[in-house]
Amino acid sequence: MEVYVLGMATHSPADCIADKRLEEMVFDTARAALDDAHLTRDEIDHVTIAGCDEFDGRSISSMLLSAPAGAYLRDEIKCTDSGLTGLCLGAMRVASEILDIGLVVSWSKSSKAPVEDVMRMRCEPFFTRPIGLNMAISDALFAQAVSAEFGFGNDEPSEAVVRAYQRASQNPRGMQRPVPERSDIESSPFIATPLRRAHCAPLTDGAAVFALASGRWLARRPHIEPLARIAGLGWRTAGYSLGRERLAGMTGFRDAFQDAFGKAGVSGPGQLDVIELDSQTAYHALAFERSLPGANPQALSPSGGPFAQNPYFCAGLVNATEAVLQVSGQAGPVQVQGARRAAAHGMHGFAQQGNVVAIFERP
Amino acid sequence: MAREIVAAIGTGQTEFKRHHSDKTYVELAQSATKTALEDAGLHPDEIEAVVFSMAPTQFAGVNDIDRWAIEHVWGAGKPFMRVHTGGATGGSAFHAGYFHVASGQYRTVLVVGADRVAETPDAQHVLNLIWDKFYEQDFALNTVTMTALAAQRYMHRYGITEEQFARVVVRARHNANGNPFAHLKGDISVEDVMASQRVAYPFKRHDICPRSSGAAAVVLANLETASQKCTSPVFINGVGAIAHSVFMGDRLGFWSDTEFADHDGCILAARHAYRQAGITDPVREFDVAEIYDPFSSFQFPQLESLGFCGRGRAAEISDRGGWDMDGVVAVNPSGGTLCTNPIGVTGLVRHIDAVLQIMGRAGQNQVSRASKAVATAIGGSTQFFTVSVLGSDHVGIGRGA
Repeated sequence: MEVYVLGMATHSPADCIADKRLEEMVFDTARAALDDAHLTRDEIDHVTIAGCDEFDGRSISSMLLSAPAGAYLRDEIKCTDSGLTGLCLGAMRVASEILDIGLVVSWSKSSKAPVEDVMRMRCEPFFTRPIGLNMAISDALFAQAVSAEFGFGNDEPSEAVVRAYQRASQNPRGMQRPVPERSDIESSPFIATPLRRAHCAPLTDGAAVFALASGRWLARRPHIEPLARIAGLGWRTAGYSLGRERLAGMTGFRDAFQDAFGKAGVSGPGQLDVIELDSQTAYHALAFERSLPGANPQALSPSGGPFAQNPYFCAGLVNATEAVLQVSGQAGPVQVQGARRAAAHGMHGFAQQGNVVAIFERP
Repeated sequence: MAREIVAAIGTGQTEFKRHHSDKTYVELAQSATKTALEDAGLHPDEIEAVVFSMAPTQFAGVNDIDRWAIEHVWGAGKPFMRVHTGGATGGSAFHAGYFHVASGQYRTVLVVGADRVAETPDAQHVLNLIWDKFYEQDFALNTVTMTALAAQRYMHRYGITEEQFARVVVRARHNANGNPFAHLKGDISVEDVMASQRVAYPFKRHDICPRSSGAAAVVLANLETASQKCTSPVFINGVGAIAHSVFMGDRLGFWSDTEFADHDGCILAARHAYRQAGITDPVREFDVAEIYDPFSSFQFPQLESLGFCGRGRAAEISDRGGWDMDGVVAVNPSGGTLCTNPIGVTGLVRHIDAVLQIMGRAGQNQVSRASKAVATAIGGSTQFFTVSVLGSDHVGIGRGA
């Protein structure tokens, strides 16, 4: 795929960005990505938005947000699955050779979105809504299923949280929260057995924007050096029913990676220098590690992933910015030396219904 | 020219009506999918990716309702994404499916969606929520009043009358008689339209589309698959889209880049699509236009922006029958959005009706020797425009040829 990353930006994360409206957050991040790519808005021919009306609290939220995202009088489209899904759609638009240069824009003002209410209303009305399914319960069902499948030890979830915060504390682009003690984690309240509050990555507000260009556009501008090439993309969405195979099988996760590996010409996770995982809970982190045999443990989420910052809807796209920083040698204190190939993972839906993977290479 | 040539090779629709009391949302989506797959001669396993077309899910009352439908459209375990650009959703989803194939990433893609607009007691209450909470929601602004403002401005600029809008409705209802899937059918007169209940000037009840429920699906494929599976593939020769500012007031007057009343964002989208397809003289080259017209006022400015006639001329041509089935261009031979509006798939239905015309399978509504068609969709505050150029032959050679 001859699609390149010219520039990108993330909004500084916070538990609550109270001094900006959502459109100001989006505008500032899109502006920063254009600046990073040394582009003017006149030069882009399209914008791909990834947004969720329900999390934005507004029907057709792109009506308001398309212009701040840079799409005024540009070819614009919006997908609603996740920020990283938007990158997949944006990359295909560029790879089609109909469009050449554009932005992928996603955001999440989690502080304003009642996430559990939104997730509860994702339940169909006949069975799952009456029983009160929500994100915490579906994540707990996932935690139970993968614990049984992989045989996690009693201490492993707490240790996974500590490791995640240790990495996140080194990431200057994250919240740099203090690293908790295991006893703090193990005494935090249950939100749904076996999931404790401290097992979950805290939600933050944030936004992420990519500037993508086609190979033919770059060929006409040999003086421009892209940050990375998108080597492969893969995404899978599993069924809606939360049966044991769906919860414990990790099929969508593995298939999304395999698809991306195939397109990138990569034989397996051992060939990746960095894998930024969208581990929303300790159980996700452990299940993902078990499902990537051969991966170097040091390659897994050096940024801290969602434990560094967690704008829920676009957390996968934030992971993608970290992956690109790694292959371009700009990851700062969390840089993996010599990283040439990095993957970003995102997930969405009840108990990782959807998995998305993007693999980036140093050009 | 795209990297890969893309064709539509199968379509499916359910009947559209106010309520489907015998099917759930996901069963509707499955019904259209099954029909489209059978039409394309493909087993579900042969579909490599799925794009789901669904606008605000508040109408149906289940957030991100596409996730519930995944297994029912045989999408579980596949690359799957939902596209949503308000009323333009179906056009955007069609484009997203096109990009899946044109990029060379997938050989076969199912684009499918369903909507149940009438599940909510008042769709316009939901549509009021598209406006700004602080400045606009209290103004009783919804899609009817929003569009009425543009229609008034268009009437003022070009001297158009309510009766001229009413003739659009008369033609649409007549055409819908031959469409087995249409929601509103039956011949009515200009007098009937004029006598219907006033809603927001210049609109009366019959000037406004119904709230429809139903589903639609189309299978897209690369040239190799299309050649193997379909004797009459319909090629997607151009796609274009434009997003405008949400603020209507910023789209009129001396300082504006475009004119709100003229739908002239559509010009930019059409220009991009026409350039890809090599269209230089739309009125001579297109046999059919399936355009997004949920209100009787939508056809004239859109036809003008698509290059079918000069600005302010479309109404006069309409009066002479120029947009009838046997006119210079057959406009919405299906009956269009005025007769059927399942919002999340309306744009997709426009594309499907255009595909059926070029395949020669439009039944009673078939336009003689139709070989090129344009399909549109519009969303938001009349701010998102999509334009697609379809034809019986493909332009360019692509890499898959």
